[in-house]
Amino acid sequence: MTWQTFLFIPIAMAAFGYSGYRFYILFKLMLSHRARSGRTDQLGSRFKTSIINVLGQKAVLRKKTPGIMHTTLLWAFLLITVGTVEQFATTIYPPANFEFIGREPYWFLMLVQDIATLGVLVAVAYFSYRRFIVRPEGLGRSLDGTLVLTFTGTLKIALFLMNGFLLLGQHPWYASAMPVSELVAAGLSVLHFSPEINASLATLFKWVHMLIVLVFACYIPHSKHRHILFSVANTFFKSLSHSKSMTPINFEDESVQQYGAAKINDLSWKDALDYYSCTECGRCQDMCPAYNTQKPLTPKMLIVDLRENLYRNRNQLMNGKLEEVSPVIDENITDDVIWSCTSCRACEIACPVFVEHTNKIYDIRRNLVMMESRFPGEVQTVFKNLETNGSPWAFSPEDRLKWTEGLSIKTMSEDPKIDILFWVGCAGAFDDRNRKVIRAFASLLKKAEIRFAILGSEERCTGDAARRIGNEYLFQTLAKANIETLNRYQVKKIVTACPHCFNTLKNEYKDFGGNYEVIHHSEFIAQLIQEGKIKPTKALDASVTFHDSCYLGRWNNIYDEPRSVLEALPSARMVEMSQNRAESMCCGAGGGRMWMEEKLGKRINVTRTEQALGTNAEIIASSCPFCITMIKDGLTTKEMSDKVRVMDLAELVDQSTP
Amino acid sequence: MNIFVSIKQIPDTETKIKLNPNNSWIDTTGIKWVLSPFDEIAVEEAIRLKEKNPGSTVTVLSAGPARITEAIRTALAMGADTGIQIELPETADNNLVAKALAATIRREPKFDIVFTGKEAADDGAGQVSQLLAEYLDIPSITVVVSADYSPTSVKCKREIEGGSFEMVEASLPAVIAGQKGMNEPRYASLPNIMKAKKKEIKTLKMADLGISEADQKIRHKNFQLPLPKQAGKRITGDPADQAKELVRLLHQEAKVV
Amino acid sequence: MAKVFVIAEHRAGRLKTSTFELVGAAAGAGNETHVVLLGDGIGELAKELGPYGAKTVHLIQDPALKLYSAEAYSKALSALLKPAGPDIILASHTPTGRDFMPRLAARLGVGLASDCTQIGFNGTELKLRRPVYAGKATAEVEFMGPGPRMATIRPNTVGVPAPDPAKTAEIVNAAANLGTLKSKVLEVVKSSSSRPDVTEVPIVISGGRGLKSAENFKKLEDLADVLGAAVGASRAAVDAGFRPHRDQVGQTGKIVSPTLYIACGISGAIQHLAGMRTSKVIVAINTDAEAPIFQVADYGVVGDLFQVIPNLQEELKKIKEP
Repeated sequence: MTWQTFLFIPIAMAAFGYSGYRFYILFKLMLSHRARSGRTDQLGSRFKTSIINVLGQKAVLRKKTPGIMHTTLLWAFLLITVGTVEQFATTIYPPANFEFIGREPYWFLMLVQDIATLGVLVAVAYFSYRRFIVRPEGLGRSLDGTLVLTFTGTLKIALFLMNGFLLLGQHPWYASAMPVSELVAAGLSVLHFSPEINASLATLFKWVHMLIVLVFACYIPHSKHRHILFSVANTFFKSLSHSKSMTPINFEDESVQQYGAAKINDLSWKDALDYYSCTECGRCQDMCPAYNTQKPLTPKMLIVDLRENLYRNRNQLMNGKLEEVSPVIDENITDDVIWSCTSCRACEIACPVFVEHTNKIYDIRRNLVMMESRFPGEVQTVFKNLETNGSPWAFSPEDRLKWTEGLSIKTMSEDPKIDILFWVGCAGAFDDRNRKVIRAFASLLKKAEIRFAILGSEERCTGDAARRIGNEYLFQTLAKANIETLNRYQVKKIVTACPHCFNTLKNEYKDFGGNYEVIHHSEFIAQLIQEGKIKPTKALDASVTFHDSCYLGRWNNIYDEPRSVLEALPSARMVEMSQNRAESMCCGAGGGRMWMEEKLGKRINVTRTEQALGTNAEIIASSCPFCITMIKDGLTTKEMSDKVRVMDLAELVDQSTP
Repeated sequence: MNIFVSIKQIPDTETKIKLNPNNSWIDTTGIKWVLSPFDEIAVEEAIRLKEKNPGSTVTVLSAGPARITEAIRTALAMGADTGIQIELPETADNNLVAKALAATIRREPKFDIVFTGKEAADDGAGQVSQLLAEYLDIPSITVVVSADYSPTSVKCKREIEGGSFEMVEASLPAVIAGQKGMNEPRYASLPNIMKAKKKEIKTLKMADLGISEADQKIRHKNFQLPLPKQAGKRITGDPADQAKELVRLLHQEAKVV
Repeated sequence: MAKVFVIAEHRAGRLKTSTFELVGAAAGAGNETHVVLLGDGIGELAKELGPYGAKTVHLIQDPALKLYSAEAYSKALSALLKPAGPDIILASHTPTGRDFMPRLAARLGVGLASDCTQIGFNGTELKLRRPVYAGKATAEVEFMGPGPRMATIRPNTVGVPAPDPAKTAEIVNAAANLGTLKSKVLEVVKSSSSRPDVTEVPIVISGGRGLKSAENFKKLEDLADVLGAAVGASRAAVDAGFRPHRDQVGQTGKIVSPTLYIACGISGAIQHLAGMRTSKVIVAINTDAEAPIFQVADYGVVGDLFQVIPNLQEELKKIKEP
């Protein structure tokens, strides 16, 4: 025990005490959230994904160079932390070093730590270059980021100085394990200090290092650097499946008075964990179609602003004064921010710490729609149409059979003995352009001799539009009606040409007693081609690019099947857009935006169409009625409708199949 | 203020109309019934008036067959306080309805203003608001697009032909028949929909009101459906020929110019 | 042969064509046709009714009748008609006629058939048919109890006969008997914008992307002037800045159901159809023969609107000229 013991212990206790207290507040705020979020299932998978993403840094590495640098930084820091712990231990009780692990292992530990320290400095240099010279838009200006880099850099500089002086002053036995520090020592030797002074300077810089660590520890809970702890938890608790069904609300429960999120604490603990894990890296913002077309929404700022809202209300939340918590819609999170989202989930897929941005937006929409009746005016027509006729457009259920005129298509009421139910959807039934797709697919089913039927006038909108806009009550009304019909006919297998219907039927109906095997028509056609039931023989002889639909791709991880369909078309020349698969840009119709006017910024569909035109493909292929509508509109706007066509996969295959 | 609103439930505009076997009425099976759009405007106006005059009540009335309860609930979900359902046969005419409404309102201790829609989109006659006003011996102002209310009078902007308007002033009580553009009816919030399920709806029969089927003055019969819409005609030729033929068809065949 | 009373309508110093329609129809069927003319300083107008077949014109003049009011009309008319013993009372189903006739019917204790599109005289009875369910069906009207029989007739249903200047009507002055009125018309305000709103008129002419510029919409405005129509626009035209949002017809704009809808350079995407599909007669003018609008059009013109529209205007002017 030396004077260092008695100096260090109170300082360390004060620092860790303060830091721990701040973390406690964060934790308590997290628990003050009302909504439930069940994330404790499948523990094995959760452990596995945590190892792969935290230690393996898989999501971070999606961006190559920053990813590699960050991985270096993480691993280096983990190793150096061992040394820091040893440093603290020996300050309190000098004999408590880690040499007990054995001479060779300890020498090796010193070596990797020395190299790691250099590695951190290289990473810090790279990140500083990136943040201050390159200035990518997603990073933005951040005092917090600058401070964290400063802390990190000065810590390592202090270490190297400490080591340098130590090597000069005391020359420990493991000096040969520290080649980088040796170089530093060589440099410091020009000062020609005596060994005693060098030893004292080593101690000084040790203290400098320790104090910086303690100050950093106090700073971290205030900084986005808290992600070093929270992102681990966030990875563990992440959503495990690609598809995401929204959490249903139980309207029968009379104790529930508040539907959706009006205030920050109406969201869940997992949402708070998301704010704490966000590193403000901006990858989400870079991918957001709304942000990139000048809408006020950026997923990054949404998370930051929600976090700010939480802090602003911390006293009210900590003291249980819930009525005094301010609304979640404030001068930063405006109505336009909330309504601009197309639910494409590019933000969530891009996020290296698995923040789930869309949950929050949709919970806030639920409150706006169901509690406050506060939504874009044109949406009221959609609700009325859905309530009265079960379709977002004003058409009666009988009109759902119009596309079958001249074809002999069976309805379930005529003959329910089928292999598969063909779910037509509202766009397919009522929209002139999409009726062609439906007819093409029906023609393929017949060519493949599949026994199918449609629900016809018994079909109602799946409710996707209602749910994404936030009208959960209307969604459940529609869903339950459809499930009742489907179950009455004992339907087991469904194929549909609309990814929105597909997603809702497959992933969301099971919460209401609807369990079916649901296949998207692109998968089904791929299967039929593979089984030889459809043989596309007529040459297409054109260049084709495929536009990945969000609800098929990012929402349900279906990227390959549509491409295999296109590749089966003779002499089709596939060319990919630079933003494809998981990075595909949304057409702009998702999140209920098909039904809303796009008044701000540049048109999303025009932007995506420009990207498609950039491939010089003659055909833009898609497998979604909304995407087709949006891209067709985009082509008309760009006056390219006579040179480039947008076609559904079903149409292309049907034309190619005798 | 004691505010009353008279509403009607009509078939949704998308419903296909079919006739019953002896063409004496439409076939009501499978019809989707909705609150008449003009009546929604009336309900919205009533609720806004109540919101401007704290302590007021809005009573929604409807006269018709049993199914109209749902329309009354819709009005209650928008914010009306109580409902009164008057049982009348499906084929009741405007006069019977107006008499029933007048008798019901006269039973209430006090009424300051009555809102209706300018017409019901199914019958399209637009008589009830005026008949009701006559039976209550109060003024009626129809096709109102905006109104200013004071405790004893109302000043209305009334739509007439040619895009012109009349400014009409009347003493209260009066019947105001609302027109599209008067307001944008609100979408009922979910808590209000839940609350509406518990609000009181009183039911009255003709006998309670001292009226009978003898008060019915007209009857509809021999219903006919129009000829099915022919497939569109394509008009060919050069632009001059096309224009000529089009005008001829519009004037002589379709009779719309 | 019935004693028929026609309630005349006038505005800005002129009798309405629909009044002549009713007088002509009643007189032409051999009925003893009376006309009631209410107003102030409109004595000269009474002389115009004889040539159409009116036997007697009852002139009720009073300053309180200078501007139309439902209360004043129904009071004055019931005072005149109660002792006069009419078999049939007719008015046009105009904003005025449809407004006061119900009050008058209630005062006389009889039923009223509104907005009739077919009228026939059968002794002292009326044979009437009227549209119901927004024109999706029509039905005959049967009156119950004693008369008089009252009806409002849709304008332009029966033709206007050629007037015979040799015929004259007896003009009788009658008192107004208004008593105290609880309502008052303060003024008539002409619409501020020179163009009617798309929801207000029976004819709408809409333009789409095919118009190519805001200036080109003037061609539609000129055509609209000939017909007294409103000018609408598709979302594409509004987005391109050719027209303001209040002219937009469609799911996210205005939903219209006029008697005649002329779609020029509009493809007919589903969002637009949702706003005009229920129009009684739809005309489409488009260069693309495959455009979805032709699926709902009653009359389709595949052609260049810039050539068709001027021709159309000329042809319409020809039939509008008396």
